Amino acid sequence: MFYYNYTNNKENSMYIYLPIAEQPIHSLAILGVGTFLGLIMGLVGVGGGFLLTPILMFLGIPPPVAVASVANQLVAPSVSGVLSHWKRSNVDFKMGTVLLVGGVIGSSIGVILFNFLGKIGQLDFVIKSSYVIFLSLIGTLMLYESLRLILRKRKGKVSRGKLHQHNWLHGLPFKTRFRKSKLYISILLPILIGVIVGILAAIMGVGGGFIIVPAMIYLLGMPTSLVVGTSLFQIIFVAANTTILQASQNQTVDIVLATILLLGSVVGVQIGAKFTNIIKGEYLRLILSAIIILVSLKLLADLITVPSDYFSIIIHR
Amino acid sequence: MKHFRYYLFVIIFSISLSIEGKTENQIVADLSQENVKISTNFLGAKILLFGAYDGKPGDDIIVIVTGRKGLVTVQKKEKKFGMWVNTKKINYINTPKYLSISSNRPLKEILDENTQKSSQIGLNFLNIRTQPGSKILNNENWREALTRNMIISKLWSVNENSVILNKNALFRSYLNLPSNVTVGKFEVKILHYRSGKLISTEKSTINVSKSGFSAQIYNIAQNYSTLYGIFAVLLAVLIGWGTNLIFRKV
Repeated sequence: MFYYNYTNNKENSMYIYLPIAEQPIHSLAILGVGTFLGLIMGLVGVGGGFLLTPILMFLGIPPPVAVASVANQLVAPSVSGVLSHWKRSNVDFKMGTVLLVGGVIGSSIGVILFNFLGKIGQLDFVIKSSYVIFLSLIGTLMLYESLRLILRKRKGKVSRGKLHQHNWLHGLPFKTRFRKSKLYISILLPILIGVIVGILAAIMGVGGGFIIVPAMIYLLGMPTSLVVGTSLFQIIFVAANTTILQASQNQTVDIVLATILLLGSVVGVQIGAKFTNIIKGEYLRLILSAIIILVSLKLLADLITVPSDYFSIIIHR
Repeated sequence: MKHFRYYLFVIIFSISLSIEGKTENQIVADLSQENVKISTNFLGAKILLFGAYDGKPGDDIIVIVTGRKGLVTVQKKEKKFGMWVNTKKINYINTPKYLSISSNRPLKEILDENTQKSSQIGLNFLNIRTQPGSKILNNENWREALTRNMIISKLWSVNENSVILNKNALFRSYLNLPSNVTVGKFEVKILHYRSGKLISTEKSTINVSKSGFSAQIYNIAQNYSTLYGIFAVLLAVLIGWGTNLIFRKV
């Protein structure tokens, strides 16, 4: 399938023709977007996937191509991130492997679902509405957390909550010991989390860090120091599986787009990481949450405002 | 030098006219570019069509360029739970994915509506059918939506007054292919009308194909899709690992 975009003003040699998206795009714009997202990843520690896909859609990249290519680009910063966390021994490989088993199952389901939604013509709607839901949720939570932290610091007290609470989730069968994380829990729980994150990763073109990180902390009760490295470890495989399946099932992976994006993002991550000690984390999160909320509002507006034309076309290949 | 062939043609044609006299009712035409390559820097193409016709004052030239035909879906959005969702669709088969109609003056002045209909000249007179089994019967709005959206996407166009006639013997016109054209053979038809009657035609083709790097990537992605996916992942892994090595030393 081939979607067209309305922006057609280009008289410039900086444009590069994307072979799969089948349209030219300004190469510096894409490089800039990649670097910006990399900076956020490096500064805040969460993946930029959930911002990258909507930005690409705003730039006129067809949503299916945006989702699949972002999955591809996510592999690079995740590999880079795992390597640096591994060096500091911050990766629980056993937990990561259990999570990725679920993730691979989930992302496979996700790609099949993606294919099905494309056939019935609801793919764009599902991608956009899931973004509205998740971005507004995450944006609001982040805003709340960072504001709370800022206010507390002003008052001059920082209290720490309990590491994790035991609930019915810890009573599930197939209990396994995860030495590194100092946990003795049912293997079903991380697999289930992996499956859910995998499905979302495939449909939304995200690594799922924004879901898996809180899930690991609050549901599994993993030590915070291990969470980022371990989630990145599983994201590599989920993103890789999604990329290969999207490429073979839907032919929507644009390697040129992905490569330009990831070149920008890997550099951005490193720059961002160098600045983390200079800028205060909670203020960063405050800014990021504002960006996320804005993006979700823009997407929501696209869905609820009366369209200028009720009709649209899809030109099949 | 781009239009060298055009000038050469004009000179040779005028010489041949003066030597041999006119042959009856003929059009000869040539294109500044017969092969359009979509490579990594493709931003669309502008092609000069030029030629000579055996004309009298008041004659008209219409140029129709048609791309590959195929399936185009028109979808309609409706409000569901406060959001605008695609709910209905019609598949149009046999739809040209590129169409440009150029003429020396407005089509209405050249042809009456019946002739326009019978010879399918005009964006609303095309022989486009809905896929058999379509449930939507009153589809006039849908057909209009197809035309409207194809025009917005720059794939369909009517360019009245864009064919330039010269001394009732020469004509030229620029054909614009946008950057989102689909590949294939484009049929160029040149029609010569005298007081609303077709007196001669000429045909030519433009080949639009992907070439170079972007063509290779496209072909690999289509034909070796799994391998392509694996390669895309490996490339990303390598770059991720590479940057880690580079920045560790910095």
